[in-house]
Amino acid sequence: MTQFFVETSWLLPMYGLIGALLSLPWSTGLIRRTGPRPSAYLNIVMTVVSFVHGLMAFRGIWNQGPQELLFSWFDFADLHLTLALDISVLNLGALELITGLSLLAQVFALGYLEKDWALARFYSLMGVFESAMSGLVLSGSLFVSYSLLEMLTLSTYLLVGFWYAQPLVVTAARDAFLTKRIGDVLLLMGVVSLACLAGSLDFNDLYEWVKVENLSPAMATLLGLALIAGPIGKCAQFPLHLWLDEAMEGPNPASILRNSVVVTCGAYILIRLQPIVVLSPVALGTLVVIGTVTALGGSLVALAQVDLKRTFSYSTSAYLGLVFIAVGTTWPGVALLLLLTHAVAKALLFMAVGSIIMTTNCQNMTELGGLGRKMPATSLAFVTGALGMVGVVPLGCFWGLRMGADFLSRDYPLLTLVFLLVNGLTALNLTRVFRLVFLGTPQPKTRRAPEVPWQMAVPMVTLSIITLLLPLILGKLLVLPPWQYINWPIAGLTLASGWIGVAVGATVPLSKSLARSLNRSLRIAQDLLAYDFYTERLYEKTVVAAVSTLARFSSWFDQYVVDGLVNGVGLASLFGGEGLKYSASGQSQLYLLTIFAGVGLLGIFMTWTLW
Amino acid sequence: MLSALILIPLVAALVLILWPGKLEAQTAKVVSGIGLALSLALIGFLATQFELATPGFQFEELLPWVEPLGLSYRLGLDGLSLPLLAVNSLLSLVAIYISEPTLHRTRLYYVLLLVINSAVAGAFLAANLLLFFIFYELELIPLYLLIAIWGGSRRGYAATKFLIYTALSGVLILGAFLGLVWLSGNTSFDYDSGLAAALPLAQQISLLVALLIGFGIKVPLFPFHTWLPDAHVEASTPVSVLLAGVLLKLGTYGVVRFGLGLLPDAWMALAPWMATWAVISVLYGSLAAIAQTDMKKMVAYSSIGHMGYVLLAAAASTPVSIVATVFQMISHGLISALLFLLVGVVYKATGTRDMTVLRGLLNPERGLPFVGSMMILGVMASAGIPGMVGFISEFLVFRGSFLIFPVQTLLCMVGSGLTAVYFLLLVNRVFFGRLAIAPPTVAPQLDIELPSVTWRDRAPALGLAVLIIAFGLQPNWLARWSENITLALHQPYQGFVQARTQFAPTAVPAVADTLFVDPALTLPTPVLPVFAAPSVEISLP
Repeated sequence: MTQFFVETSWLLPMYGLIGALLSLPWSTGLIRRTGPRPSAYLNIVMTVVSFVHGLMAFRGIWNQGPQELLFSWFDFADLHLTLALDISVLNLGALELITGLSLLAQVFALGYLEKDWALARFYSLMGVFESAMSGLVLSGSLFVSYSLLEMLTLSTYLLVGFWYAQPLVVTAARDAFLTKRIGDVLLLMGVVSLACLAGSLDFNDLYEWVKVENLSPAMATLLGLALIAGPIGKCAQFPLHLWLDEAMEGPNPASILRNSVVVTCGAYILIRLQPIVVLSPVALGTLVVIGTVTALGGSLVALAQVDLKRTFSYSTSAYLGLVFIAVGTTWPGVALLLLLTHAVAKALLFMAVGSIIMTTNCQNMTELGGLGRKMPATSLAFVTGALGMVGVVPLGCFWGLRMGADFLSRDYPLLTLVFLLVNGLTALNLTRVFRLVFLGTPQPKTRRAPEVPWQMAVPMVTLSIITLLLPLILGKLLVLPPWQYINWPIAGLTLASGWIGVAVGATVPLSKSLARSLNRSLRIAQDLLAYDFYTERLYEKTVVAAVSTLARFSSWFDQYVVDGLVNGVGLASLFGGEGLKYSASGQSQLYLLTIFAGVGLLGIFMTWTLW
Repeated sequence: MLSALILIPLVAALVLILWPGKLEAQTAKVVSGIGLALSLALIGFLATQFELATPGFQFEELLPWVEPLGLSYRLGLDGLSLPLLAVNSLLSLVAIYISEPTLHRTRLYYVLLLVINSAVAGAFLAANLLLFFIFYELELIPLYLLIAIWGGSRRGYAATKFLIYTALSGVLILGAFLGLVWLSGNTSFDYDSGLAAALPLAQQISLLVALLIGFGIKVPLFPFHTWLPDAHVEASTPVSVLLAGVLLKLGTYGVVRFGLGLLPDAWMALAPWMATWAVISVLYGSLAAIAQTDMKKMVAYSSIGHMGYVLLAAAASTPVSIVATVFQMISHGLISALLFLLVGVVYKATGTRDMTVLRGLLNPERGLPFVGSMMILGVMASAGIPGMVGFISEFLVFRGSFLIFPVQTLLCMVGSGLTAVYFLLLVNRVFFGRLAIAPPTVAPQLDIELPSVTWRDRAPALGLAVLIIAFGLQPNWLARWSENITLALHQPYQGFVQARTQFAPTAVPAVADTLFVDPALTLPTPVLPVFAAPSVEISLP
């Protein structure tokens, strides 16, 4: 029986897609009589089915080795594309995380988007989203992974652009697609070259190939850099991090997934690719550098945001930066643990944020305050999520951060410092946000703030409990180290960094009326961070300007040079004809002269050789 | 049998000409629709009879015609022409279907469309160089008239430009064909892959250059492309659909069939230059597309970019890249037809195609939500999002060409990235935002209500979208026809490919002994379970 669930696990990514297809009649407006709700229920049911099926397969595979499902998809000459699925404990675990969080987010959306007219479209998109992510973590072939990454890019574009009538959403959707697309095109270059060099795109074949390949170092470096470009875009790492904070313009239930599992999918691909990236030390170094820059930069930028969602999206980038560091230093275990713990905690935080936005219709922290007593469930969820996010108490992320700090402390003490700094800064930021939103006196927008309806409260409370239980679950999965192997100094440092962050966050003066500091140098620093080091403007001045200049130049060139030349030739021949017509004077003597001259010239020409 | 494909549309045209009394648009549509549906059915029937294992021409027909000239009426069908024929009939059917019922000079219009269909079918079927040329020229005149009579405001200019360009292309092609046959001392123009084998390289090269420029005008490739945007902008929607979907393919078909197929030595000598030419065309077309503000012009420039891939793939001449040319032709035919179709619907509903004027057409109640959704699908297919035929075509192009021309292939991928840029701009400007039709300087009128698109207008777009997705999910349905002709075309290039293969010689197995695998028609069946496959070594501590 369990074998049946394992063998049919190729269905797992299909469920979401089926849900999306089933809700098409509602999203296209064919069925109006029932309202859009049935499509939502359909999708939720499909997600439950997917979750349960995944769980069965997980139990089935727990005591067995991993299995591989292979589907031959396209064979032509020397090209063999297979759809491979790797059914392993790890992959199914990731799948459970995705479907579980997707389920909670979808139930959450029932409340959050209750009044939205396009509910059915939202659920269709969520179905595609979930399906692409499920396929991505199960995929055993780079070809499939790449395809699904692109699907994810597309569905992110559509989900961010969900409220497409708003101008900010339009630019956000555009940036989300284009920045990810840059990464994807670079990744495609890597995929195509791997397909040519290794002859197969199945991960297992690629791992075999890595052992025997004989690439030149330059080639290996280029390959490695191309391969990491995709995850850089997907995980919102510097310099392709721009899109994630803009993407916060999209509906919140999608943000829950985007900040927790979507970025996880990008990192997951990176982890799968790591054995190939290892070929190039430069690429690994780049991973560490990018990770460090994003981790520190993201944590700092998050501190200066006044938007509730954006500040957490930057912290997502920062945590994924830590994951990149872990992958770059070849500690995939650290990366996976961090991904898991971060995903759960971040999803919970975003649920709390969603409740606040839903109740107050506001996500500007300077206009919030005093919600602590009015929304107890939300406050509890926020605190739980925050505690799970940082190493303050031994909840989820503590274990991830501790492990990273511990393992890196042997070879790269500086990177350990990065982990501790990120922990401290995130704790500081969370405390700051908590003070601004939940403490203090109620503001005009928070004066009437009832707790959210059950559709939102139930998933939030459920996830709070899961967050609290996460260490136990981790222990049960034998991921946590035995007591005697814990590196106590590092664990202590992790906790200390967290508590210092909390302490600073609790004491730093916060002003609601003056969002910007009066002190000039402080204000400049604050602006620098608030505007994300002016990255957007930098892009506008460089990449965007370059492309649009080139585009305008080629359009101009086309119009005036290429086409101008053609029109010039046409005009010249017209004028030539016009001009020549005056030679036809009507006098027969002239015609005779012309004929004789012509014949004479022809005669000379033909007898040229005789002369 | 094959003649029927040429004759059926002609008979339908004859019926229309002889139709007594005033010809109603509806009658004309039905008659021509029946004709085209018949030929489509016939192609379907031929496909069932088609022997996949035979690389050469099938269902051959041979009638001596003007023997002293070497012109014979010789038709043949192979894996290269079969998919293109199907697309030809399909898109002609679409063009007839979406034609405005209110057009003036109904009779002439439908007759011309049918003649184009017949001529293009003839060109794809011709197995004699002169015969191909005749059909190639025959298609020119009806198209000229279609643009010149039913076109937009600058139709005279655009139509004449098209005529002059294509006539020039015809001259070059005719010259190349004559040179090819006369220099090689043949008496017959019948297609034969060994036709130029005895020619010295210099002669072959000059012939190939003439052919490439001739077909390059038709494809079109930079710098011979400027007729295309003008022609598209002025042509009515059905004509644009045909022009982009079918007629451009005559150029690429010619390049593959007569350049790659007949002049291998010269082809190998010029291949690097052609690949570079392809890159220039791709990047130039894509960049120029970004700067356009007319939706139709943007799609037209995107055609220039996307047809460049065909040249790159043909230049690489590996088996995968040759089949990629077929894929790219079909995928571009379907996708650009869909895009032109939708632009036409937008134009009909709003009266403009200006992207600085249109806003927020995706509005669910008062806008064009269906057109918007289809447009997003179309542009995503064009930008190479997996799951649709555009992706697998581009992947095959890149995969087939990378080892031969790595730099050029990578640059073409940049072009693929640029496709996303301009089409995203299109969707963002026209379909996202708040519904308004006004130039940016004028205060928009906010309560416009666009006429809702009927199912009649939706059906062809839906059909094309289904095909785009179906071939994207199951590319075997397309590849199976062309597998053997591809390998046959690749035959002379084995040495070339092996010599030019870069980086890892082990990666490309000698293709000579590639087995003819019957590509699975059915949906993938699980090969399962493979136990104890080496799992990813990610162990948690």
